[in-house]
Amino acid sequence: MNKIMYLEFERCIGCRACQAACRECGDHDAKERNFVEHVDFMESRQTFPMMCMQCKDPACARVCPANAIQITEEGVVLSASDEKCIGCRNCTFGCPFGIPKFDFEENKMYKCDMCYDRSKHDIAPMCASVCPSDAIRFIDFDEMQSLRRRRTQMNLVEGKKPTEQDKWKYVPEFFGVYSD
Amino acid sequence: MQKLERSFYSKASMYSFFVVMILILSMWLGTGQFVHVDMMLFGYLIGSLVFAIGITLRMVSWSLRPATHQMLKRSFSNLRNRERKKRNISSIIKTAIDNIILQKFIFKRGIYRGVTHWLIAWGCIGSFAITFGLTFGWMHFSLIDPETYQIIVMGVPTITMAAHGLFAEMVYNGLNITAMMVLIGVLMALIRRTTSPDVKVTQRTEFDLVPLYILLTVTVTGLVLTLSYAVLDGWMHNYLSLIHQITVVLFLVYFPFGKLFHLPIRPMTTAVPMNYQEHLQVDTRACKRCETLYSNDDQIADVKEILGAQSFDLQLSDGTYLSDYCPACRRRMRVMKQMNLESQHKNPYAPIQTMTDVQVPGFGKHRADSYYEKKDKGDKNHE
Repeated sequence: MNKIMYLEFERCIGCRACQAACRECGDHDAKERNFVEHVDFMESRQTFPMMCMQCKDPACARVCPANAIQITEEGVVLSASDEKCIGCRNCTFGCPFGIPKFDFEENKMYKCDMCYDRSKHDIAPMCASVCPSDAIRFIDFDEMQSLRRRRTQMNLVEGKKPTEQDKWKYVPEFFGVYSD
Repeated sequence: MQKLERSFYSKASMYSFFVVMILILSMWLGTGQFVHVDMMLFGYLIGSLVFAIGITLRMVSWSLRPATHQMLKRSFSNLRNRERKKRNISSIIKTAIDNIILQKFIFKRGIYRGVTHWLIAWGCIGSFAITFGLTFGWMHFSLIDPETYQIIVMGVPTITMAAHGLFAEMVYNGLNITAMMVLIGVLMALIRRTTSPDVKVTQRTEFDLVPLYILLTVTVTGLVLTLSYAVLDGWMHNYLSLIHQITVVLFLVYFPFGKLFHLPIRPMTTAVPMNYQEHLQVDTRACKRCETLYSNDDQIADVKEILGAQSFDLQLSDGTYLSDYCPACRRRMRVMKQMNLESQHKNPYAPIQTMTDVQVPGFGKHRADSYYEKKDKGDKNHE
């Protein structure tokens, strides 16, 4: 798998198409595994999409007492295997990004697996394939690098990297594209 | 204990040694000093001993993982705690009935899956009980008079039964009944695994299908054996029993190392109501930031300890840990960090602080007190 997921939070328009698409994916059992939430509802209407980071050394797998969270050879961190998950929710609290969800009815954890049946054949995951504003993209590593570089240059050429205090002045153009 | 441990290569080898010794001792007791050993079952005996060693090995290495170790540690300390006696007993009974005997949570994943799993699980456990009981000689039958059989368990005479009564027939055909359960279950599972597109997403042949094939060969050869002596006058019985023995030994050796190993670790589900959530979906710990209830203190303490033991540094600059926040707040914190929008959670009704002092209409008109103080000071200087 040469492609990667590229998220640009500020492009999210909050349409939740990614969540609807996620429900349709194979093995997702009509439950969405991603999140669309408000950054800070008191201050703006900005939303952000959130998926699993597919960590190289996942904290969720390390805190699992049943050793239920497996990683595929492509590096995708899978949901807890049905037969091992004992339903303790340690993964939910161990994950630094708050990704794993828990199904109390079926007593098992489920999380974003990058639509494993699609992405292992280099097909974009459901969420990336439907996102209308390109907030979620499934692109080549090189393309991602050039996008990141362009973002950095943009900030430098403008010469006015907003700070915490004057971010409000920049709101109409970009919302918080200040990561580099 | 430590001294004893040092006389072995590892903990695993020490426990394996004791498990095998206990099994042989129980065999010595059960068979009346090895008088009633069934030599026909010798292959099964070796297979069962390898099985016992394998299970011990896997259990030890599994319980040495930091996460498992932490959970077991808390479980045992809670079990010893007298104040928690009521909670411990109720959670053990509840888990045993709901999760192990009835397997309600699998039925909630689908009736078909529930029936499949229940048949395989109880078929296997029943077969194990009968197989181990007979191979280790824990029980055997003896004829009291021409019409009456007696079951002798560990050298103690127990039930007597009419040689051709209903109960006796059920006991003789115990393995046939469990084999039929497993056969139906395995066929249902194989149908699901080959037709459902959902399971194919993460299904692996060597992990998910091989155990089913092994179970299938074991049950089919076992049932053919019954067919041979019951209907076909013992046709090819020697060879068939040898083939069955080979498949069973294969199964026993495979069991601790494949998917089926989830059987001995399942009882740890008890730890969830016992240590963490006494009542399902009732949380007691509040998030540090948004104050919604999301977990309980014991579990967060455990998670912190497990992460610490594996050098995950998830402590923030203010001394709190990421696991002190609810998942929603953790997601938000990551986004705020990435977008460079981090801020202390201020009073949302307080006046907005801006660099240019430009106030957006519609928000609070009153400026922060520090603004007025500065201005006052400035005025004084001018005078």
